[in-house]
Amino acid sequence: MGQQANQTLFYDYDVVKKFSIAAVIYAIVGFLVGVFLALELAFPDLNTTLPYLSFGRLRPLHTSAVIFAFGGSVLFATSYYVVQRTCKTQLFSRFLSNLTFWGWNLVVVLVVITYPLGITQGKEYAEPIWPIDLLITVVWVAYFINFVGTLARRKDPHIYVANWFYLAFIIAVAMLHIVNNLAIPVNLTDSYPLFSGVQDAMIQWWYGHNAVGFFLTAGFLGLMYYFVPKQAERPVYSYRLSVVHFWALSFMYIWAGPHHLHYTALPDWASTLGATFSIMLLLPSWGGMINGIMTLSGAWHKLRTDPVLRFFIVSLSFYGMSTFEGPMMSIKSVNALSHYTDWTIGHVHSGTLGWVAMVSFGALYHMVPKLWGVTIYSTRLINLHFWLSTVGVVIYIVAMWISGIMQGLMWRAYDSFGNLSYSFAETVAAMHPYYLIRAVGGIVFLLGALLMAYNLAMTVRGGSRQTQAVAR
Amino acid sequence: MADQHDVETTGHQWDSEEGYPLKEFNNPLPRWWLYSFYATVIWAVVYWVLYPAWPMLDGYTKGMLGWSMHQEFAQDSKAALAQKKASNDRLEKLSLKEIARDNSLLQHAMSGGKAIFGDFCAPCHGSGGVGVKAGGFPTLADDDWLFGGDLDTIYETIDKGRDGAMPAHLQGAGGAFSEAQVNDLTEYVLSLSKRSQDAAAAQRGDQLFHGEAGCNGCHGDLGNGSIKGTVAGSPAPPVGAPNLTDAVWLYGSDPAVVRASIAKGRTGHMPAWGSGAKETGKRLTPLQIKQLALYVHGLGGGQ
Amino acid sequence: MKHDTIERSIPLMVILTLVLISIGGIVEIVPLFFIKSTIEKVEGMRPYTPLELVGRDIYIREGCYNCHSQMIRPFRDEAERYGHYSLAAESMYDHPFQWGSKRTGPDLARIGGKYSNMWHQAHMQHPQSVVPESVMPSYPWLKKSPLKYEDIEKRMQVLAMVGVPYSAEQIANAKKDLQAQASASSDASGLSQRYGNKVPKDDFDGQPDQISELDALLAYLQMLGTLVDFSSYQAQAR
Repeated sequence: MGQQANQTLFYDYDVVKKFSIAAVIYAIVGFLVGVFLALELAFPDLNTTLPYLSFGRLRPLHTSAVIFAFGGSVLFATSYYVVQRTCKTQLFSRFLSNLTFWGWNLVVVLVVITYPLGITQGKEYAEPIWPIDLLITVVWVAYFINFVGTLARRKDPHIYVANWFYLAFIIAVAMLHIVNNLAIPVNLTDSYPLFSGVQDAMIQWWYGHNAVGFFLTAGFLGLMYYFVPKQAERPVYSYRLSVVHFWALSFMYIWAGPHHLHYTALPDWASTLGATFSIMLLLPSWGGMINGIMTLSGAWHKLRTDPVLRFFIVSLSFYGMSTFEGPMMSIKSVNALSHYTDWTIGHVHSGTLGWVAMVSFGALYHMVPKLWGVTIYSTRLINLHFWLSTVGVVIYIVAMWISGIMQGLMWRAYDSFGNLSYSFAETVAAMHPYYLIRAVGGIVFLLGALLMAYNLAMTVRGGSRQTQAVAR
Repeated sequence: MADQHDVETTGHQWDSEEGYPLKEFNNPLPRWWLYSFYATVIWAVVYWVLYPAWPMLDGYTKGMLGWSMHQEFAQDSKAALAQKKASNDRLEKLSLKEIARDNSLLQHAMSGGKAIFGDFCAPCHGSGGVGVKAGGFPTLADDDWLFGGDLDTIYETIDKGRDGAMPAHLQGAGGAFSEAQVNDLTEYVLSLSKRSQDAAAAQRGDQLFHGEAGCNGCHGDLGNGSIKGTVAGSPAPPVGAPNLTDAVWLYGSDPAVVRASIAKGRTGHMPAWGSGAKETGKRLTPLQIKQLALYVHGLGGGQ
Repeated sequence: MKHDTIERSIPLMVILTLVLISIGGIVEIVPLFFIKSTIEKVEGMRPYTPLELVGRDIYIREGCYNCHSQMIRPFRDEAERYGHYSLAAESMYDHPFQWGSKRTGPDLARIGGKYSNMWHQAHMQHPQSVVPESVMPSYPWLKKSPLKYEDIEKRMQVLAMVGVPYSAEQIANAKKDLQAQASASSDASGLSQRYGNKVPKDDFDGQPDQISELDALLAYLQMLGTLVDFSSYQAQAR
């Protein structure tokens, strides 16, 4: 790279700011819908007459809002932030940046309109109808070009590890999205997928599991590899570990899908591959946790004063816990108990609330003041948010563990004569208290997010109006 | 674990303009991490050797244990059957009445019946047969029966199913009677349970009930239903016509509901679970139906 | 160090990543299309009738799959509760599959014929009126909404394109068959001739004067899991 003396380096923060604001808004929307759904399960009369608010139509809205609207916005914001700063260059194209921002938000708006109307293609985590799928594809291609284009302008020949993860996330999601959504349209809103039955099931969970693997894991590990060392002011613990666990994770995650289909009509062999690769995935997953936590070691004293670091350490702990729990649940005999129950819901939320949301909160608290060139409005509020989040997640997952394991055990309980002890309806009745407790956990978590919105809004209000921050 | 202060960074730096620059130590892979990873790989390889695992051109590696989920299921089912065999054999051989007299065998049957009832019957008849809010599904825990509450009749009801067919009476709804006449019939039916407000109308309804409308043909001359009732000296036909003189109302006791039943008719349907069902509907074996009949009989209203 | 080369090159990173993440999917997905034992050979499978098909679309629209599985696992308790374990063949015409992932409510793979239409009507109107423990939402709008099926032929044509064996005759008679199945009194000889005489045919929603969305949904529910003749399947399996 040539010497360009005295050239002031500008980072393009406009799109990062916009995605950060979107992330905060979508977090609240997504959590709010989640709380409402939790209450619907506790009080079914909440969904009586309005089709638009009925559980079956709203649940996909919750999952899409938190994963793709909130999680997606965080990934867009942080990847655009990280790739610029680690490549010491501006984003490749302002046009593509804006295309991804407005395109992604158009996707979210269309999803929010179509799902409650029952306009869906009915594949879990891939409910958008085919025109929206096409739009997602366009946005994703633009994202890929914009990200790679920025990488290509990097000043340092070495690509920083965070960008490997972001890149793998972008590539994998493109592949998964396209294959899983192959369909033939009937009209503007309806289509039938190319695949059916067992093949469709396999492809769906190949997609579904790797939405977790690459969207919620690889992408957020990219985030972690930038924000944790930056906030802790420590070097990453082990470069070698990051190399090994990056490639192992990328290779192995993709195989784990069939563990969602144990003991179904999917053949035994596929099920075995899913279980064994899930187990082998444990240590590659933990590589990220080790690198994160060990990076923080040596900065432990900062935990006392820096609530942002607390978000990171707790999120990494939840990451470690749920990436341990996942492989355990993928063992066939454990899965026989856990599958179809709330245990799965608890597991997902320990990953998404405990890991994804908390690491995102940490990143937002780190990034927003820098984007607007101001200092944070209130560190005490961050601390309060931290505790609300942690307590909320713990209440949530403990309730779901108990209810899930209880439900699984009740389904297969036999009396001394060798006959089933409980009817299905009795198991549903037994869930009621845990559905209530879960809703409480969700509400506490939501309150924390509201605090964050307030805190960040006040932070930005105190900031300057410039859209490009000077880096040096 | 190696002390990270002893190792060097890789020498690269990123984002060094603002805040702490990103650097990387080059610590070796943690030993425990690496060996644990190898252990999981070895575990997986062993698993692949033992169990069905890898797809081939047509078929897949079956594994040395010869395990398959369907075969495991077959073994479990066989073991469960073996556990119950002694009592099941006796349950199959003995008649319902004989089982009812054998206390230990009866307990076995009641347990089996309860298990089946919970998932197969309770959705319509309520848990424990106590009935449900929606109309049309008989309570089984009382002694008011449409087709009979003795063991054999209960067995037959479950085995073959039942259809109740109360015809419509109102003109336009498929019947032959005017609004006024339907009102009169309603008033008479209410009078049978001493709830009539209009004696004159009830009187006119009485005439219709026992005359032109012929309600007594099914509900009996006294309106006390096809089980207890008689029609001009002989028993009423066993069509499941309810007793109208008591406080039990299949579709609700409200006068408007009673009127609706008369005006538009009712068709109740109890699915057949055994020999009376179509091929795919034979969900219960004779042994299961026996246990279920004993359980239902024991819910409180068995005769 | 070799990784040095990779991490300096975007094309290398992209290609290596793409290759590595493709392998698992290819090995797990592709064989499912050609290993013959994947889908069992059974008697009785047929494509959905037009009414059932529209009902299935309503099932998907309402998101029923979020709480109900259609996949009985080969476990003793599930067999006792729900019936014979599900076969791959039973969902071979399901675009998309409806195996589900959660049982907030019970499995529905063999719900067909289990409960009467009258029960389903009451249950859809207000589930707690028949099952007080239930947490299921009410669906009162289904019986009020007239069924839309003007594009039924188009739907069947698209499904035929992705491999569902609808004949030209079945597609041509779609509307007629749909109306015949939703009525208790109509002449159903054509319907039985085209889809077999086991097709449940009734005024499912209890409203003889209109074909509602409830008619279609119940027609679908009432046939679930009833197609395969298990006596013949087991004979072949031994």
